Amino acid sequence: MPTRSSTPKYRPTAWDAWIFAAVIALAAIVAVLFYGGASRGGDTVVTISVAGEVAERTALAQFDGEHVYTGNGYTLNVVAQHGQIRVSHSDCPGQDCIHTGGIRRVGQSIVCLPAQIVIRLESASPDGADVIVG
Amino acid sequence: MKISAKDIALCGVLSALALGLSVWESLFPLSLLIPLPGVKLGLANLVTLFALYALGPRRALAILLTRCLLGSLFAGNASALLFSLLGGLVSMAVMIALHRSGKFSVFGVSLGGAAAHNVGQIAAAVIALGSTAVIGYLPLLLLVSLVTGALTGLLVSLLLRATEHLSLQ
Repeated sequence: MPTRSSTPKYRPTAWDAWIFAAVIALAAIVAVLFYGGASRGGDTVVTISVAGEVAERTALAQFDGEHVYTGNGYTLNVVAQHGQIRVSHSDCPGQDCIHTGGIRRVGQSIVCLPAQIVIRLESASPDGADVIVG
Repeated sequence: MKISAKDIALCGVLSALALGLSVWESLFPLSLLIPLPGVKLGLANLVTLFALYALGPRRALAILLTRCLLGSLFAGNASALLFSLLGGLVSMAVMIALHRSGKFSVFGVSLGGAAAHNVGQIAAAVIALGSTAVIGYLPLLLLVSLVTGALTGLLVSLLLRATEHLSLQ
């Protein structure tokens, strides 16, 4: 004799559609907030932070060569080519940062959780001039 | 609260199953197909959702906490505990609320739980990294959760129907 506290509804109900719609709406809202101000090229700034501290912040167009960052015992090699930035090498266990590939739009980011390194593309500051390196 | 030997044995078996599914799932990383940190099938959530319906919220919570604690011990990674606890507790809270309302099917509860799990894990990532950049991953993670939540809901529905005749509580 089954003694479950409630009888499950096995078939989807009309109320389930509200959950579906709510999840879609939340995804859309976050996407608009994060990527709505997309821009490319010269006014895009790349910010690289390690364990929450900004390690480097420079214009994407001026990010030359290969930069190496170390966090939490892991090392990431970051390169910028053809208007996009990517992780070329990492010794982290998951390799999600490499699989993310290149990013080029404001709001996009590459995250390496084991290394606690975040590479983020942002709009240049409103007054247009400040680029901070180091 | 009276805890019987049957309760302990059943919760132990389900906790072990959840742990085993977590480990097995890590052997087939979904992130190779969808390169997002934290994206996964969520097989351990099968156990959590099943336990919620079959055993009740208290036992389901006990199984969740056991799985999170032991999982982080096995992983040898303290930050794994933050991610699995925050994701699991947020997911559990949403699933309990949806379940108690009586309006949603197993699918709806599973969808809500899957989405809430991702929200919780993104919150954990924000805390761990000290950066809100990871929130940018949430839209795609939420869309993936619709698929994984539906699959979980389907499997748990089948399991619940198959075990209707059992006296688990």
